[in-house]
Amino acid sequence: MVISTALSARIREAGLAYLLLLPSLAFLAAFTYWPILRSIWFSFHDVVLGDSKIIWLGLENYQRLLEDRLFWKAFGNTAFYTVITIPLAITCALLLAVALDSKLRGMAIYRSAFFYPVMIPSVAAGMVWVFLYSASYGPINKGLSLIGIPDTAWLYDSKWALPAIMVMSVWKYSGYFMLILLAALKLVPSDLYEAARLDGISAWNRLIHITLPLISPTLYFVIIIGLLHSYQIFDYVYVMTHGGPADATNVLTFYIYQNGFQYQDVGYASTLANVLLLFVGGLIAVIATVFGRRVHYLGR
Amino acid sequence: MAEVILQGVSKAYNGRPTVHAVDLTVADKEFMVLVGPSGCGKSTTLRMIAGLEEITAGRLLIDGADVTHAAPQKRDIAMVFQSYALYPHMTAYRNMAFGLLKTTSLGKTEVDRRIRAAAEILHITHLLERKPNELSGGERQRVAIGRALVRQPKVFLFDEPLSNLDAKLRTRMRGELKRLHKELGLTVIYVTHDQIEAMTLGTRVAILSQGSLQQVGAPMELYMRPANTFVATFIGTPEMSLLRCAVKADGTGSRLDHESFSMVLDADAANPDVFLGVRPEEIHVHPHSVPGMARGIVERTELIGSEALAEIMLGQDRITARMPVADVPESGAQVSLSFDLTRARLFDANTGRALAA
Amino acid sequence: MTTLHGQTDAKTLPFTQEARQPFRLAALKRGWLHVVMVPLALLWLSPLVWILVTSLKTRTEVFDPAAGFLPQVLQWANYPGALSVAPFGIYLVNSVLVTGGILIAQLVTITLAAYAFARQTFPGKNLLFTLFLLQIMFPIYATFLTNFVTVRELGLLNSLPAMIVPFVASGYGTFMLRQSFRQVPTELADAARLDGCGHLGILWHVYLPLVKPTLIAFGIITVVTHWNDYMWPLLVNNSENVRTLPIGLGLLAKSDSGADWTRLMAATVVVVSPLLLLFVIFQRRFVDSFMHAGLK
Repeated sequence: MVISTALSARIREAGLAYLLLLPSLAFLAAFTYWPILRSIWFSFHDVVLGDSKIIWLGLENYQRLLEDRLFWKAFGNTAFYTVITIPLAITCALLLAVALDSKLRGMAIYRSAFFYPVMIPSVAAGMVWVFLYSASYGPINKGLSLIGIPDTAWLYDSKWALPAIMVMSVWKYSGYFMLILLAALKLVPSDLYEAARLDGISAWNRLIHITLPLISPTLYFVIIIGLLHSYQIFDYVYVMTHGGPADATNVLTFYIYQNGFQYQDVGYASTLANVLLLFVGGLIAVIATVFGRRVHYLGR
Repeated sequence: MAEVILQGVSKAYNGRPTVHAVDLTVADKEFMVLVGPSGCGKSTTLRMIAGLEEITAGRLLIDGADVTHAAPQKRDIAMVFQSYALYPHMTAYRNMAFGLLKTTSLGKTEVDRRIRAAAEILHITHLLERKPNELSGGERQRVAIGRALVRQPKVFLFDEPLSNLDAKLRTRMRGELKRLHKELGLTVIYVTHDQIEAMTLGTRVAILSQGSLQQVGAPMELYMRPANTFVATFIGTPEMSLLRCAVKADGTGSRLDHESFSMVLDADAANPDVFLGVRPEEIHVHPHSVPGMARGIVERTELIGSEALAEIMLGQDRITARMPVADVPESGAQVSLSFDLTRARLFDANTGRALAA
Repeated sequence: MTTLHGQTDAKTLPFTQEARQPFRLAALKRGWLHVVMVPLALLWLSPLVWILVTSLKTRTEVFDPAAGFLPQVLQWANYPGALSVAPFGIYLVNSVLVTGGILIAQLVTITLAAYAFARQTFPGKNLLFTLFLLQIMFPIYATFLTNFVTVRELGLLNSLPAMIVPFVASGYGTFMLRQSFRQVPTELADAARLDGCGHLGILWHVYLPLVKPTLIAFGIITVVTHWNDYMWPLLVNNSENVRTLPIGLGLLAKSDSGADWTRLMAATVVVVSPLLLLFVIFQRRFVDSFMHAGLK
């Protein structure tokens, strides 16, 4: 009797908890889990957008994927963009954060100057940079001509188009990462720096051996955030180059869009989407194993 | 105001028992203190009375009603927490009004009247519009007590309420709590780890150790007649000295033999192995050697103002004696000892239980 | 006298040197830092400057290589010109409705879920929490294709709800708020229980007022994200009266294939300015929000 009342109280407690989770879970199920499962299911089928009939294909889509040179190009571009842009933006952000952490005068102005691009919609940012990059009248070319570099149609040159988008990404996100790192830097106890200075350790070594290890949890977090923000490359490609020239800026998200929406081939597009999920999931797993264990938690 | 009855109240976390079958009756208008070392289950017991912890087995009655599984707000109790648990985003007034408005159907004017009255009693009328972070520790304490008072509950529960205050303030609040209890006729259950707090506040004190009730009684009763060695050493500072002795039959009566003395026992003791418990003030130290008296060596002395303490080795046992500062012996001196045996207690050396002497 | 003088000199000299040098060095370093940082900050600001300047030029000035950096005459007419091309008023209302809808819905779902994860015990808690975190890894931008199929099947294409429903649950928000809830002392919840509150009462009267900074931080991040969102609205909308501001801007860019940069930049200023203005006014709040989003 007594045990049953205690038990029923616990069941009631759990029931309430599930009830509280229900709204979130319902939407997560509909718009996160179900799409993933469905994407896997679709990848074994021939699915045409807007057609309810689906035909079993087995592994055919995957075979096609392996032979699809454009897929490999898009995959390579995605990997290139991710692997270069994130470290670049984070390095940039770290240097900015360290510079601003030294109680620089005009701190608030600097902070805003580097952070405001985060507030700008990707479509607006993309457009502005199309203008900045334009061949004859673009300010970038105007500036470069002053030091004797000839006019380049950056976004129309298959060698430069993707790097040009990457430079823009660094401009857009460094300020965000800087801000997060700045918050972490402020938590490093200053007596650690003082002790290191008394030991005659140089500024560079202080950065490498004291600052970096102590902010490593945040650095790790920033890497993950950076990875998740790299999904936004779709917006830039869509607005700035539409994948061109000659698919030099075609990335997985955009290629999925082309296959699914333009060619209405949802089956193949789902196969591509699965590769994207695996790529991001795998990258996070790699980062977690490489960095996750080495992270130093300050007093936690 | 009402009586609180615990019948075999027990608590187990994941099958691991932390409170064993506690039987306790708290009378109306009584100030009951639950005391014991940390981890003894006193706070868990209080939280079970409050309804914050599920009672695994046993029954709890408040004012005759079985509230073993009742929700906290249905038990007609109020609690003052160790950290005071004042809502940081509400003023002192709102803190006191919040529970009243939630649990009762009192009108705004009655709520206001009660808060003003409680504030008057606690001298916090001028603080009512302040938020907790604008109050000092002692002021927060008063607001927390006020929050309990306005509820006019049957029982007041206090969970180590004075442990976050400095020593001076603690003494003052102790007096204050005593005054409130007496003037307002409250029924209080009060948890503390501090035995001095327990002795000065409680009309009765319940001592817990390792989840079991050791003894319940008036403070002086616990001091004079501890039920076992745990109670004997827990109550009183410095603690009671325990001397390992053997009881031997001796024709007419029996004798108590220690390695460094021997004495006649008035009553019979069934056990051969016992502890003789003596409090510091029951030990008399004589600087000169007195024939027939036990002899010990002074290890160390401590002057504590009005009096002095001396730690003395008596054979293998270390005992503590209390004496006037003028009589304190030198460290390393040989002294003779006599005991005031009118209140000496014997404990079974195996079970620790007090033997009827 | 002279020896004494000499002695004091010898004594004080190394001291003053040692005491002053770090300061002078630091000042020098800081000066150098500004020399590097000022151009860098200007570089970062230049796109914004270009937007503003171009929005006030004439079309010929943009393309004329001989024209100066600043416009000859400020062409304010570019603004009404840009706004008359498309119904930006409707776009603005849609943006407000979509962003506001997502914000309110998320605040409700994450509050309930975060409370359950922070303060309740129930079977499967860890597994469910991992499932919530899964959404951080795989947001809508990763699963947009099959999500589009779902939204289409629900008959929501070309409607405002299409832009809201996929974002109602937030793994990130739940995680952030759960961390904050766990900072609230449990004694406060106990006190509230004695004061007659159930779980929902505790949540409403104690937890929510105490985590207001986190709610504001999350709110700001959500508003910035969804106010600026481009990809998802682009996919599910093809109708004038449900377009949001970024979509309208994108459309303007496409239709102006002759690249009327002056009008386009004027429209960009209009789209960008609400958030930038809020940012300038509430700078501290914004900065704190994004800063603490990274700290757990």
